[in-house]
Amino acid sequence: MIVSLADFWTWLETLPISGEIGATWWFPFLESIHVLTATFVVGSILMVDLRVMGLAARRHPVSRITSEVLPWSVGAFVVSTVSGLGMFITQANRYAGNSAFQVKVVLLVLAGINMAVFHLGTSRTLARWDKSAATTTGAKIAGACSLLLWIGIMLTGRWIGHLS
Amino acid sequence: MLLSRVYTPGDWPGVPAMTQPLTDLIRAITATSVHEFARYWLEQRGITPIVQTVHLLSVASIMGSIVLIDLRVLGLALPSQPATELIRRLMPWTWCALPVLAASGVTFIFGRPNRYLLNPVFGIKLAMLASAVILAVTFQRPTATDPQFWEHSRGRRATARLVAAASLVLWLGVAMAGRWIAYVDYLFPESE
Repeated sequence: MIVSLADFWTWLETLPISGEIGATWWFPFLESIHVLTATFVVGSILMVDLRVMGLAARRHPVSRITSEVLPWSVGAFVVSTVSGLGMFITQANRYAGNSAFQVKVVLLVLAGINMAVFHLGTSRTLARWDKSAATTTGAKIAGACSLLLWIGIMLTGRWIGHLS
Repeated sequence: MLLSRVYTPGDWPGVPAMTQPLTDLIRAITATSVHEFARYWLEQRGITPIVQTVHLLSVASIMGSIVLIDLRVLGLALPSQPATELIRRLMPWTWCALPVLAASGVTFIFGRPNRYLLNPVFGIKLAMLASAVILAVTFQRPTATDPQFWEHSRGRRATARLVAAASLVLWLGVAMAGRWIAYVDYLFPESE
């Protein structure tokens, strides 16, 4: 019976699919898909962040950049998450106890909060600065936070494998 | 799983004798002080993941520039931004990322030449990278003098789409191959 988080991790590890991924070429395959989609997420969000900060694509409305680029970021993020979970379940206890993994999850949550704050708060005045090259202080802060958080997510993600 | 599958340096039984010049190169690299320097620093705690992250961030810049352009030329993304303008605005990201990519990559090669130079996946990755760069240069070159170069005729538009598709496959292949360097045994199992 599952009474603790550790039990849940163990239950995940004992699923047939976890053993199958862990023992076959599925693991490196998922890992390479994870890296591919993660770099795409960061690269595409970087372009959005720079526009939101008023540093790039200044002649294009912010809303146009976000509406055209973000669906691709979200799609890549979904694939990245699924492939990440696929790797996670092979040794859930070990990953859950990995400090780089823990920091990465915290940074992912913070990136989500930053996004929510921007979309629900900062961007409500978007109509006023959508087409202008320079953006608001709030937008600049949101863009900078997003950039730093995603770099941190990449760093901690890469660090997971270096901790035993 | 975390570390157990990481390759330990050595020869690949499956790789034929054409590796003599490569083993000579590895011997030459191993004799340099740059090798000692790179190896020393990569062994320091935290340095390897940081350099790897720099490498990955350059890959991310490439995803955000040439890969997005390829998707645009194929008609899949960014419909309101003309390809010609995207090339002008985003290609510098690729050209700036490449030297950073090369510098961080060369650091790893100098630190552990065995791991890479005899690795068939690394060879495939390098071949795909070279093809992708050549494709990018030849694609961008004519747009410098004539931004609409790829839009003049139906034939050119079709060629542009073909080039974009090839470029996309190559860059995604390069990005995936990087990770498979560590898992070469899956792709090239030891021959009997």
